Amino acid sequence: MFFRMVKAALLRGRSKRLMIAVTSALGAAVATAMLGVMFDVGDKINQELKTYGANILVQPRGAAVVTEFYDLQEEAGVFHGSLAEADLPKIKTIFWAFNILDFAPFLRTTATMDGGAVDVVGTWFSHHLDLPTEEHVAVGLANLRSWWDVEGGWIADGDEDLALVGAGLARERGLRLGDAISLRGLQADLTVRVAGIVNSGEDADNQIIVPLAIAQRLSGRPGQVDSVEVSALTTPDNDLARKAARNPASLTISEWETWYCTAYVSSIAYQIEEVMDSAVAKPIRQVAESEGSILAKTQLLMLMVTVLSLAAAALAITNLVTANVIERAPQIGLLKAVGASDAAVIRLLVAEISVVGLTGGAVGYVAGLGFAQLIGRSVFAAAVSPRPLVALLVALLVALVVLAGCLPSIRMLLRLRAAEVLHGR
Amino acid sequence: MGADKVDGKASGRAGGSFNNKSIETAATGAQRRPRPAARTLKSQAMAWRMLRASLTRRRARVVIALLAVAIGATALSALAAIAIDIPRQMAREMRAYGANLLILPEPGRQTVPASTTAQIDGLVGDGDLLGRAPYRYQTVRINSQPYLAAGTDLAAVRQVSPYWQVEGEWPSRDGQLLVGADIAAWIGLAPGDGVELEMGDSKQRFTASGVLSTGGGEDSLIVMGLEDLGQLAGESGQYDLIEYSVAVSGGDVEALADRVNATVSGVSAAGVKRLTESDAYVLGLLKSLLGLIAVIVLALTMIGVSTTMMAVVAERRAEIALRKALGASNRSVEREFLGEALALGALGGALGAALGHLCAELISRNVFHRHIGVTWWLPLVAVVASTAVAWAASLIPVRRAAEVDPAIVLREE
Repeated sequence: MFFRMVKAALLRGRSKRLMIAVTSALGAAVATAMLGVMFDVGDKINQELKTYGANILVQPRGAAVVTEFYDLQEEAGVFHGSLAEADLPKIKTIFWAFNILDFAPFLRTTATMDGGAVDVVGTWFSHHLDLPTEEHVAVGLANLRSWWDVEGGWIADGDEDLALVGAGLARERGLRLGDAISLRGLQADLTVRVAGIVNSGEDADNQIIVPLAIAQRLSGRPGQVDSVEVSALTTPDNDLARKAARNPASLTISEWETWYCTAYVSSIAYQIEEVMDSAVAKPIRQVAESEGSILAKTQLLMLMVTVLSLAAAALAITNLVTANVIERAPQIGLLKAVGASDAAVIRLLVAEISVVGLTGGAVGYVAGLGFAQLIGRSVFAAAVSPRPLVALLVALLVALVVLAGCLPSIRMLLRLRAAEVLHGR
Repeated sequence: MGADKVDGKASGRAGGSFNNKSIETAATGAQRRPRPAARTLKSQAMAWRMLRASLTRRRARVVIALLAVAIGATALSALAAIAIDIPRQMAREMRAYGANLLILPEPGRQTVPASTTAQIDGLVGDGDLLGRAPYRYQTVRINSQPYLAAGTDLAAVRQVSPYWQVEGEWPSRDGQLLVGADIAAWIGLAPGDGVELEMGDSKQRFTASGVLSTGGGEDSLIVMGLEDLGQLAGESGQYDLIEYSVAVSGGDVEALADRVNATVSGVSAAGVKRLTESDAYVLGLLKSLLGLIAVIVLALTMIGVSTTMMAVVAERRAEIALRKALGASNRSVEREFLGEALALGALGGALGAALGHLCAELISRNVFHRHIGVTWWLPLVAVVASTAVAWAASLIPVRRAAEVDPAIVLREE
């Protein structure tokens, strides 16, 4: 009897049920899309923030005081260590290898060109690596310098006689694309062709950037590099990470394990030091620190926007369900008049609305997945991964909201006197 | 019991949607046919009376419809305010990455005169200027080894380069300085240690109040106040470069740099391409993310609002039929119901616009610790949009109800 009544109620006022179904579908769609995007936005934005460049710098131990103020140091004759090129693929074998997105080695040297000295930097542009894990990756400068305007084009892996020339230098020396330039290095003389002119807004504007092998030959330092820039996906620092960054030895064993197995910039740097001989890896604070703060803000923002949207959706569904139940006062009055108990009426009502709401919710969930993909694809050009947690949350939300929508009407129903309603008061 | 049921059902259904009083008002409205001259005035007064009566009498239903519209308008104005203003706020947050505009000496000159800062500040504008840190570099010696020392405004540096990490303390008085982490490791300095700087013939003892680490060039730098460096190297009133942190991104920075180059003599301004390009990219991303979310959520909410409005109106079929049976024309019925919808839409829209602003302000406060910017036309859009949606959503059920022969509708009941 109960099921027959529910069925009849569902079939009879079809357009009204349809409206509840549509509204809960809309609510579920908003919830699914927003929750899906919210849970994913951290990873996505983190990935996009890589556009600011590398966040870890690896240098030889002992060459500590070299870095940017290079000229000064050469005069001072401070010890100039080096890293082994052969060690570089090991960076992709650390515990967090998967989070290492890209890296590029640098070897700085000077050469004479047409009688004037120029800075020459050797690097990988898009270097193919075969890893011990039988993976193949391409790493290099092309992705680490997304803000460079390269007129002409980047140099492909294996083109050894090409060079990129900084825009300032090209202007000064009157160099154009395709020109041949002869470089007289410390140990060798070589001729390279200008494959691209770089407008970078930084030091590179006055440098010649060549494949690593060329710089090694010019400087007579085969198999050596000066520094490596690494771009890694990291988790924003917390107190533990800051404590570890000061001194990893100060951690307790369990703290150390947590730290080592979390993708903090400091633990990734530590792991790079472990695999590379005589290397010091340090976070580039300008990028690493700022990433964390931007990420935190974006996530908080998305959380708030999600809560706002969910609240709006929830209120909209509740509202409609209430409207629907209130308008059925006469029908319910009739039910009570023919002897239905309050409990029976409430059961009938809740069952009916739940069936309608959850059906709508299921449809909305599928639509919401679609919206989440739409957002992911058009904003981040990457899919938003569907999560079981989102499905669970949406189901819970729709159920709660639909029931909450019934509540005011249930209260009203309990006060309802059959005779009064049926008489029209 | 059986008779009671049939009877009760009929009167209950008819009366459920409106009570006797509304029959009276509708009836009096239809009976008195005013003369043409007074007609408009009277029917207008009548319409108002009916509208007021309809709104005040069925309170529950009005509250529900009003809530629906207000929720929609709240979502609209809050999301739109966020989508419009947050990327602007985020541009400020992006300055966690440091200065995005550099002032260098004009080619051929060695230094930037300190006197140019006021002029450049003016070009940047108060609202967008987040920080300005001038730098002066000198080579100094510690234990006869040369190091690079930078004199700067330390308070300004903390704003311009928030990513600087200092172990120990930031210098708080004269005679204190920061030592780069690499130098500190090299010569074995800990925070609080004394250090003697030499420059030419002058020597001075300082306290290294903190060790600075950034992972960049600053790690091999000694950073001190401009006055301290002035005492050591002599005042010059000149800077080697000035870093500006400006709350604009992308091409706007280049435009600003061009303006500075055109108006201020002796300097050469340039955007930090790495930051300006990356900022523009990330902000563009955020803008399209928020925009798309706003559009999708709004479309869905507005459909939700219209289903509720439709439900509320559709349920009054019997009332519409009864009015028609008593002689009301389709047009007058439509006018009354749509008028009601318009009033609800406008009221709900205004309510929602206010609530939406509150929500946006709350979010902005929590995330950015700043007020949300006020977009003057947004409340207007919220009111107009929700009125339009309420009106459009009522149109279909009212038309449909009005077209049906009242006898059929009333017999159904």
